[in-house]
Amino acid sequence: MRYAFWPGCVSKAGTPELYPAATAVAEKIGMELVELDQANCTGAGVLGERNEELVDTLNARNFAIAEQMGLDTILTICSTCQGVMSAVNYKLREKPEYLAKINQNLAAEGLEYKGTVRVTHMMWAIVEELSLEELGKMVVRPLTGLRIAPFYGCYILRPRYVLGMSEHPDRNQYLEKIIETLGAEPIDYEGKLKCCGFPIMTLNEENGLKMVSNHTLEAKDKGAHALVTPCPLCHLNLDEFQPKASSMSGKPINMPVLHLPQLIGAALGFNVKEMGLKRHIVSTDKFIEISGMS
Amino acid sequence: MPQHQVLIIGGGLAGMRAAQKAQELGMDVAMVSKIFPTRSHSAAAQGGVQAAVSDDDSWEAHAYDTIKGSDYLGDQDAIEILCSEAPGDIYSLERMGVVFNRTPEGKIDARAFGGTSVKRTCYVADQTGQVLLHVMWEQLMKSQLKVYSEWFVTELIIEDNKVAGCVAIEIPTGKIEVFRAKAVILATGGIGQVYSPTTNGLVVTADGQALAYKAGATLMDMEMVQHHPTTMKANGVLLTEGARGEGAYLLNSKGERFMEKYAPNMKELASRDVVSRAETMEIREGRGVDGCVFLDLRHLGRDLIMTKLSQIYELARDYANTNILEAPVPIQPGHHYIMGGIKTDVDGRTWDQTGSNRWAGVEGLFAAGECANVSVHGGNRLGGNSLLDTIVFGRRAGEGSVGYAQSNEYIQFNEEQAKKRTEDRIKELFSRPAGGLRSANLRNEMGTAMNEGIAVFRNQDGMQKALDTVRVVREKYPNISLDNKGKIFNTDLLAALELEYMLDVAEVIGVGAVERKESRGAHAREDYPERNDAEYLKHTMVHKSDDGSPILGYMPVTMTKWEPQVRTY
Amino acid sequence: MDATFKIRRFDPEDKQDPHYEDFNVELPEYGSVLEGLLDIREQQDGTLSLRCSCKSAICGSCSMKINGESRLACKAMVSEIKELEGDLITIEPMGNMPVIKDLVVDMDSFWHKVESVEPYLQPKGPEPEKEYLVSNDQMMTLAVAMNCIMCGACVSDCTVLEVDSNFLGPAALAKAFRFAADPRDGAQEKRLEMYDQPDGVWDCTRCFMCVQACPKDVAPMERIMDIRSMAVEKGISKGRGMKHIQGFINGVKHSGRLDEFGLARKTYGFPLWPFMLAPMGIRRLLRKRLPPIFHKSIAGAKNVKKIFENLGV
Repeated sequence: MRYAFWPGCVSKAGTPELYPAATAVAEKIGMELVELDQANCTGAGVLGERNEELVDTLNARNFAIAEQMGLDTILTICSTCQGVMSAVNYKLREKPEYLAKINQNLAAEGLEYKGTVRVTHMMWAIVEELSLEELGKMVVRPLTGLRIAPFYGCYILRPRYVLGMSEHPDRNQYLEKIIETLGAEPIDYEGKLKCCGFPIMTLNEENGLKMVSNHTLEAKDKGAHALVTPCPLCHLNLDEFQPKASSMSGKPINMPVLHLPQLIGAALGFNVKEMGLKRHIVSTDKFIEISGMS
Repeated sequence: MPQHQVLIIGGGLAGMRAAQKAQELGMDVAMVSKIFPTRSHSAAAQGGVQAAVSDDDSWEAHAYDTIKGSDYLGDQDAIEILCSEAPGDIYSLERMGVVFNRTPEGKIDARAFGGTSVKRTCYVADQTGQVLLHVMWEQLMKSQLKVYSEWFVTELIIEDNKVAGCVAIEIPTGKIEVFRAKAVILATGGIGQVYSPTTNGLVVTADGQALAYKAGATLMDMEMVQHHPTTMKANGVLLTEGARGEGAYLLNSKGERFMEKYAPNMKELASRDVVSRAETMEIREGRGVDGCVFLDLRHLGRDLIMTKLSQIYELARDYANTNILEAPVPIQPGHHYIMGGIKTDVDGRTWDQTGSNRWAGVEGLFAAGECANVSVHGGNRLGGNSLLDTIVFGRRAGEGSVGYAQSNEYIQFNEEQAKKRTEDRIKELFSRPAGGLRSANLRNEMGTAMNEGIAVFRNQDGMQKALDTVRVVREKYPNISLDNKGKIFNTDLLAALELEYMLDVAEVIGVGAVERKESRGAHAREDYPERNDAEYLKHTMVHKSDDGSPILGYMPVTMTKWEPQVRTY
Repeated sequence: MDATFKIRRFDPEDKQDPHYEDFNVELPEYGSVLEGLLDIREQQDGTLSLRCSCKSAICGSCSMKINGESRLACKAMVSEIKELEGDLITIEPMGNMPVIKDLVVDMDSFWHKVESVEPYLQPKGPEPEKEYLVSNDQMMTLAVAMNCIMCGACVSDCTVLEVDSNFLGPAALAKAFRFAADPRDGAQEKRLEMYDQPDGVWDCTRCFMCVQACPKDVAPMERIMDIRSMAVEKGISKGRGMKHIQGFINGVKHSGRLDEFGLARKTYGFPLWPFMLAPMGIRRLLRKRLPPIFHKSIAGAKNVKKIFENLGV
């Protein structure tokens, strides 16, 4: 399993614990990641508010770079990057005349996207290419006793038709399946498929914070020990803004939020430092304690 | 008691046009609709609205096509008005914001349609009705029209043969209210649910026709019921004639374009009654599959289908599991429209304002749209002319109602008694012992019988059988019992009230049908296969006698310039 | 084919709280949820209240939550749902709107919001005698938004409306786009200003729920983004939303990657940004997770910049 690896802009910056955790876990489970260090930001949905052709060109650039490197699959570790790339790739493959137009924008750099790249997320790759069975075999520290609430992030769920859900209709249940494979108990709650509020934090902070408190408190009510998410932007919101959300709602939350690679790493035998679990805003001590990590 | 100078019952395109005009002319107007106005079935009209907007067209050509299409039963003075006023109304709608498809020069584009000699059907992809309806609704938001949304009218209040108001139930609360008005315009749409299957929505239950008939007005040419050639078997839903307008073929089980036999010139674009009959004959003679023939759009190509016919692409995909880009879709004739309706003059009046009492009517009561019959459609309606009918005659009824309201007073009546009549009716329905018959089953019995006996091909026995079944069902009506005796959103109650309307109207359809002993337009009789102008160039007029039974009469067709000719396509 | 419908019942006249009831229905192969509901109301329990009419996804009456997702009941095929999600189908009224009874909700605030965006042409200057001459392309751009049948599914699933009922919402804003982009309308600037206000386009959290829910491919969120784009391009939007986009653009244009620090500075502006970011900045410092203050560019940054410039951004 060899992939062109797109870590996204935030995994080394805003949530710097994600990059080392993700790369360590990938190596352990046999994924060879060739980093796309010349790739640019996908636009994260924000650039699309200004100009769609720009976003399509920027992402096509990344696809073309991957093609040049002889790789046919890009792997992401961010729901948002996944969503943006999937949507652009869908559009470019559906409309060859439009792809030709976009390639004109890339010509100056000598790049051309031929439409051969597929974009997948680590979460999907683990279930579809590694298999849950294989993952299960690698678990050395089963997360028994832990109740984990999945939080997917909008961009890896909707709209279904760009995210390959007709071929893989249960992609919106992969977190639960992985949680179970790792020995923990997934928590079912309404917020798991909803929005964390990240995109409006600068525009309407109150609403964003309400979303944070709603989902974390609901998970807490249902007995979750921690949330897990495959999107660092969701992580940023649910973790970093949790104290503020808590004070606004007037209720204590204290719900640790894990990146998916950290949860997997915990079960695969990595330690706290390797997974960067002390670098979060909301303390992960409770999770660490129950898991038995050192 | 709410009181308005002009009260419009029905919130579809005709009702909205009437409201807009009456408001424009300064009246205090209100609309009563049993559903939120944008849910009206006008939204389901797909293909387009006819108007002679192209340079190589003329309103006279449009009028001729319409008259021929009507099999010469249409009143030519009304048709002249329809066609000459059409372009002006279409332009006015465009200026209000309707997004028509355009020619390369930026003008309103027109496509071909059944029975038309020139491309004159203006369209918005294949969702013209929905767009027109929403634009009209937006205009009424702008003019702040008072709308009583989700109010069901149970009775028109009549004093001395003049309309005085109506009684209605507020559906979300069950409250019964009496409305006073000077002029009342009925714009309640067709009779679809009288037939099973039908392209019409569940709310199309002949309310206006039944209310008018009960009040003493005349229902004209009710036997002229249209079966649309291309409806889907699964749920009766329509696939627009616009598909054939864009070039789609009709194929039998052998893959033959059978319309070449029946209408060598216009082929698939012959008038709807001709096409429906052709399909039925193919199916009867064993060249159908499962009671259907096929609509083939494959040769039109992806671009055309996805831009101009995208809605039917989805409908075929969702309800017939067919991808029209790759396969022909099975279709059959299905009930769609009624040319017949409440007799009106060209300004929507249900009574003869010349004072000659040429027909039974109710003063102050107006009607427009499908529930009315001016008559512009005669024995068969051309596609694209119904939307036009609502637009032109809806407006004219609005104007007419203003004239009447300005020169008449409110009429006094006993409010309590009026309310009590509806209260008692409901009480009676609620009091029936549980475990009785269900409205839906009686409705299906009526609908199936009507679709067998008074549909594409008719004969004396078949029609009489349908009429008899309707009367039998009516006799079973007192045995209906309701599950729901609550006040809030009681659709069980409404279904029973609607069934009563439908049974009255179904009987009128039957009575007219058995008596018209000729074939004309949609009324195709195997026992009288020829058109008989000598005896039947006249309208069937039915109104209610004092004892409740239908009285049948006739009135000659109004002719201006066009003599009846042999009708071939 | 048969299925079990688990329907949320509520009757204000009843003494019961909202509760669920199970019904078995037998349907033909391509039967819809609506057909099942009609069978229940006509043959099994006439007290079930729901709105419906056309059975062909054009009147917009029958929107409801089916297995937690808002959609039209007449377009929801039971066999498909069973295959993907099992035999039990949960049916509930739309969300974000008060329930009148069973599956019927009060849509008053929905209609008011649509009305508030002034959804009617406001002509510029004298009207033409016949029709406005406009290109087919211009009209078909509007056709996407015109597809809207006002069913409410988007509003029902909107995650912002869940926390803030003042938000105008996807349906009203998609309608707003249809007029802001109409070449025949003379009030574009006024409209863009209106939709730029609080509770308008900048309150959308880009969660795609409305795009997923819409049965007519209106994609309301994309229309909201279209309005944002128009407002920014025409210089009408000057608030934080515009600054956030600009901050993002600045970072990616010059370095190829998002510059978080720069983004925060641009969004909040001086002198606000140190105060907005201080509490968070201190926390981050303590956890050793400050984003780099000096932002690194990718090697091909110059090429990325050219792409921006060629597209006029």
